[in-house]
Amino acid sequence: MSDWQDYTQSILFGLIFSFLLAKLFSIIFSFRDQNLRITRANPNENESYELPEENKSGGGDEDQPLIAGEEDKSEITSDDDDDDDDSDDDWEGVESTELDEAFSAATAFVAATAADRSSQKVSNDLQLQLYGLYKIATEGPCSVPQPSAIKMTARAKWNAWQKLGAMPPEEAMLQYLEIITELYPTWAAGSTSKRRGENADERSSNDTRPMGPVFSSFIHEEESSELKLDAIHAFAREGDTENLIKCVESGIPVDMKGLLHSYNIVIFIYVETFNTIVLYFHYFLQIADSEGRTALHWAVDRGHFETAELLLSRNTDVNLKDNEGQTALHYAAVCERESIAELLVKNSAATDVKDDDGNYPFDLCDSKWPWIQPQVPSFD
Amino acid sequence: MADNNVSSTPPAENQNPNPNSNDTIDPNNSNETETSIDAIAQKVQDSMTLSKRHKFWETQPVGQFKDSGNPSLPEGPIEPPTPLSEVKQEPYNLPGPYEWITCDMDTKEMCSEVYTLLANNYVEDDENMFRFNYSKDFLQWALRPPGHYRSWHIGVRVKTSKKLVAFITGVPARIRARDTVVSMAEINFLCVHKKLRSKRLAPVMIKEVTRRVHLENIWQAAYTAGVVLPTPISTCQYWHRSLNPKKLIDVGFSRLGARMTMSRTIKLYKLPDSPITPGFRKMELHDVPAVTRLLRGYLKQFVVAPDFDEDDVEHWLLPKEDVVDSFLVESCETHDITDFCSFYTLPSTVIGNQNYSTLKAAYSYYNVSTKTPLLQLMNDALIVAKKKGYDVFNALDVMENEVFLKELKFGPGDGQLQYYLYNYRLNQTLRPSELGLVLL
Repeated sequence: MSDWQDYTQSILFGLIFSFLLAKLFSIIFSFRDQNLRITRANPNENESYELPEENKSGGGDEDQPLIAGEEDKSEITSDDDDDDDDSDDDWEGVESTELDEAFSAATAFVAATAADRSSQKVSNDLQLQLYGLYKIATEGPCSVPQPSAIKMTARAKWNAWQKLGAMPPEEAMLQYLEIITELYPTWAAGSTSKRRGENADERSSNDTRPMGPVFSSFIHEEESSELKLDAIHAFAREGDTENLIKCVESGIPVDMKGLLHSYNIVIFIYVETFNTIVLYFHYFLQIADSEGRTALHWAVDRGHFETAELLLSRNTDVNLKDNEGQTALHYAAVCERESIAELLVKNSAATDVKDDDGNYPFDLCDSKWPWIQPQVPSFD
Repeated sequence: MADNNVSSTPPAENQNPNPNSNDTIDPNNSNETETSIDAIAQKVQDSMTLSKRHKFWETQPVGQFKDSGNPSLPEGPIEPPTPLSEVKQEPYNLPGPYEWITCDMDTKEMCSEVYTLLANNYVEDDENMFRFNYSKDFLQWALRPPGHYRSWHIGVRVKTSKKLVAFITGVPARIRARDTVVSMAEINFLCVHKKLRSKRLAPVMIKEVTRRVHLENIWQAAYTAGVVLPTPISTCQYWHRSLNPKKLIDVGFSRLGARMTMSRTIKLYKLPDSPITPGFRKMELHDVPAVTRLLRGYLKQFVVAPDFDEDDVEHWLLPKEDVVDSFLVESCETHDITDFCSFYTLPSTVIGNQNYSTLKAAYSYYNVSTKTPLLQLMNDALIVAKKKGYDVFNALDVMENEVFLKELKFGPGDGQLQYYLYNYRLNQTLRPSELGLVLL
C-alpha cells in the first residue's frame, strides 16, 4: 500500500517537476520573444511609412512575429494626421528616400561603433539579426548557396539572412533602424535622420528650404540677476502658489532661511509662539522689493489669479504702493487683467488712489472697465 | 522605389556595417559608452552633412566661398547669357508620382491652393512656435507685379490626387547693382510640403525656375535665405518693436526679464494715439509720380537697390488693405511730398497657443525722409501700425534703418537674413546700410 503511495507520490512529483520545467522553458522562450518584440516593434519610430505592398513575412517564419501588420498600420496612420488631413495615398513611396538616408546613416553609425573598442557589446543574436536585415535591405532575398556546416559563423549569418525570406527591403531597413534605435537611443542625436519631432523640422529647415524669408523673434537673453529678487516675490511672479503657501503656512519651512537671508534680516530661530510666526509672515507678505513692489504686485503683474487670491486671503494690504505710487489695482489695469482686478476690488482695493503721475487705475486701463471708475468728485 | 532620382545615394563608405565583422565589437563596456556613442553619432552625422552641404550651390553660377574677396574677378555676370535656343526646352524630371504645373494666380481656386500649402508648410521659427501665414491678397500682390510671367509661378502636384505639394516663384524686377541696372528675377516662396522634405525637391525646383527665367532671356536673380549659402552679398539682421507687448509675451515671441514687470513693459512701449508729424497721411493714387521721384532719388545712395518706375511704385507701394500700407508727409505750405514710409503685412500662425491663433506683424518696407527726421517719421509709422492692430513692427537693418532702431525701442531679433544674387558677382560684401532692397 505504502509502496503504491510512494510510487504515486514520485509520479506526482515527477509530473509537477516536469510541468514546472516546461513552464520555465516556456517562460524563457516567451521572454526572449518579448524582448525581440520590444526591439522590433516600436510604432513611434516608423510614423509615416506606407509600405509598398502587403507585408509578407518570409516563408511564414515563426521567429518573425513582428513585421508591421495591420495593427501597426492603423497606429501609423493615426499618428500621421497631426496637422492637416492629407490622404495618405498621396505619400505612397515618398518616404522611402528618407528611409534610405536614415538607413545609410544607421549603417554608417554601426560601422563606426563596431570600430570603436569602447562601445557596448551587442549580443550575437542581435548581430545576426542585423546582418540578415542588412543583407535583405541591400541585396534582397538570400540566393547564395548555403555554406558548409563546419563554417559556423558563415552558416549562422547565412541562416539569419535566409530566414527572412522575401521580406521587402523597406521593411528590413525599418526593422534595422528600430533595432539600432533600441540599442543606441541617442544614435541619431543631432542627426539628419531622426524622423520624429524637432530634429526632423530642423533638418527640413536647413535642407529643403535653402532660400526664402526668415522668421525672427526677440533674442532671449538669459539673465543672471535672479538673485536680487526675493524668494517670495519670485514665487509670486511665477505663480508658485505651493511654495508661497509653504512660506506662509507651515511654520518655518525649508526655504525659510534663504527667504530670510535674502532680506538680510537677522532672525531668531527660536521664535517661540505660533502668533509670532503668523505675525512674522504677515510682515513678509507686506515686504517690498527694491522697486517697492509687494508679492501681490508681482502676482497681479504676471496674472496669477490664485496666487493673488492666496495673498489676499492672508490679509496682505491690497492698497500698498510701489515706488511709483502704483497699487496692485494699477498693475491690473495696465496689464488688462480683468478677473484679477475684479478680485482686488472685491477685496476692497481702492479705485480712487492716484499714482505719482496722477493717474487712477481707471486712467491706465485701455478697456475702461466702468467698475474701477473712481468714486471721487471730478474737477474736469 | 524607382522615383529616387533626386535623392542622394548612400555614400559608399557606409556599406560596411558591423554585422559583417562580428568579432570587432569589444566587450569593454566602460562608463564612457554613452558619450562615445554620442560622439560617434555626431561625427558620422557631421561628415554626412558636410559632404553634401553645398553640393547644389557649388554647381551654380553664384559667388563661391573660395572666390570671395578676390579682386581679380570682374564684377557683373558670372556666366554670359546662352543663346535662347540652347536653353533646355523641357522641364526637369520630377519623381514619378509628381508633375509640374503653372499656377494661375488670377484664379481664386489656385490662389487658395497655394495659400493652403504655404500656410501649412512654409517658414517656421527655430522652435516651431510660429509659421508665416501670407494672406491670399498678399500672394496675389507679391506674385503679379507689372510684367510678371505666369510661367514663373511653378507648382508641383501629385498626379493622382492633383494635390499641390511644392511651390516656387519668380517675379521680374529691375535691380541696380552699382551703376548697372540688371533685369532680374526675384525668387521667393520656395515651399515643399512637410511630408516631402528629404526628397531633395528643392534643387529641382530651383533649377526649373531658373530654366523658366532663362527662357524669358533673364539671367540674373535676387533671393534671400536664413542660412548661409555661397555667397551672401550682405548679411542683415531683423529687429522687432513691440506694439502689443502683453500678447507678444503670452505667445512667446518675447519674454519678460526676471526683474521686469509686465506693467512697466506695457508702459515702455506705449505710443501716442495719432501721428505727430503735421501733413502725415495715407498715400493715394495721385501721389504715385511724386513718391516715385522721391524714392528714386533716395535709393541712388545704395549699392544694390530696385530701379522703380511709376508702374512699380503704383503696384508695390500704393496701399492695399492688410497687404501694404504707405504714408507720406505732405508739406502744409508747398504741398510737396517730402517724406514717405511703408510697411507690409505678414501675419504668422501661432502654433499651439490656446488664446491666440495669429500674430499680426508689420514689416518695414521702403522709407524716405527728406524734411521730417527719419526717427519721427518711423515713430509715426509705429503709431499707425499700433492703431491698426499690429502686434509687432519688424525691420531689417538695411538702408538707414539703424538710425532709428535702438532709439525707437526696437530689440534685436534672432533671425539673420542673407541676401544673394544669382549669376552676378560683387567684389565685396555689403554692409546692410549699403543695401537698398527689401524682398518679401
